[in-house]
Amino acid sequence: MDLLNFAIQNKEILKIFYAIIIIFICLVIVVKTHRLFHLSLHRGIRYFRNAFFFYGIGFFIRYILGAELIYKSFDGVYYSAIEFLFEFFLVMGGFFLIYSLLWKKFEGKFNPFSSFFHFRIAVFYFMSLIVVLLDNIWETYYFMFFSQIIIFIIASIIAYNNYRKNVKPGKFLKFYFIAMVLSLIAWLLNALIALILDWNKIIQSGIYIINLAVFFLFLYGVIKFTKK
Amino acid sequence: MAATKKRERLEVIRDIIKTINQNRKIKPTRLMFYSNLSPQMFKDYINELITKGFIKLEVGDDDKKFFSLTKKGQDFLIEYKSIENFIENFGL
Repeated sequence: MDLLNFAIQNKEILKIFYAIIIIFICLVIVVKTHRLFHLSLHRGIRYFRNAFFFYGIGFFIRYILGAELIYKSFDGVYYSAIEFLFEFFLVMGGFFLIYSLLWKKFEGKFNPFSSFFHFRIAVFYFMSLIVVLLDNIWETYYFMFFSQIIIFIIASIIAYNNYRKNVKPGKFLKFYFIAMVLSLIAWLLNALIALILDWNKIIQSGIYIINLAVFFLFLYGVIKFTKK
Repeated sequence: MAATKKRERLEVIRDIIKTINQNRKIKPTRLMFYSNLSPQMFKDYINELITKGFIKLEVGDDDKKFFSLTKKGQDFLIEYKSIENFIENFGL
C-alpha cells in the first residue's frame, strides 16, 4: 500500500511523467510511419499515423497544458477548453485507428489529397464534436466512454479476424488484437469507475498501466517492422 | 483454370518501379506492356508516381521519352519488404 500512497501523493508529477512517455511513443510512431507512408503512399499507414498524431496531441493538451501546476493559474474556462480539446483529439484518434483498418471498404479508388480533410473524415470530425459537446452539456464523460467502447469492440473483432485469417506464425497481428482488447478493457474500466465506483484510485492506476502497455505494444510493433 | 489474384495497389507500384529499375531507362510503351495495366490505369499510376517523385520522365538525345527512377523510387524498392510486412502485420 506504500507504493499506492506514494502514487496518490505524487499523482500530478506521475501523470506528467505518464504523459511524457505516451507523447514520446506517439512521436516515434508518427515519425516512423510518416516515413513509411511517403515511401509507400499506402492510405492505411497514413490513417494509422494520424491516429497516433491525434493521441499525442490529446495527451499533450490534457496532461501537459492541463497539468494542475499550470491550470491553477488560469480560470475555469481554460480547464474547460483543455477538457474539450482532450476529448476531441482522443475520440478522433480512435476513429482514425479504426478507419486505418476499414479504409479499403470505404475508399476504393478514391484517393484523397489529404488524409486529414476529406468527406469521410469530416464525418468523424462531426461525430467527435457531437460526442464532446454532449459530454460538455451534461458535464460527463459518458458519451466519450460509450463511443470508445463501441469503437474498440469493432476494432477487437476486426483485429481478431485479421489474426485468424493470417496463417503465418510469429506475426504481430496477435499483439495487435491483444492491444485492442486491452484498450477496450481500459475504456470499460473508465466507464465503470465513472458510473459506479466514484473514480476509484486503484482502478484508475490500473487504467494508466493498461494504457502504457497498449502504447508500448504499438511502439514495439512499429519499431520491429520499420527497422532497416 | 488457375485464377489469378488481383494485384494490390502497392504491388502494382512495386512492379512498375521494379521494371524501371531493371531496365534503368525504359520507354513508356514498353513499360505499359510490362506493367500489364489498361492505358487509363497505367496513366493514373504513372502520373501519381511522377507527382510523388518516385520516377521521372526524361527526353533522350534522340528526342525519345523514357522513364527512370529517382532516389525515392530506389528507396521504395529497398524498403518494399518492410512496407509489406508493416501493412500485413497491422492489418492495414
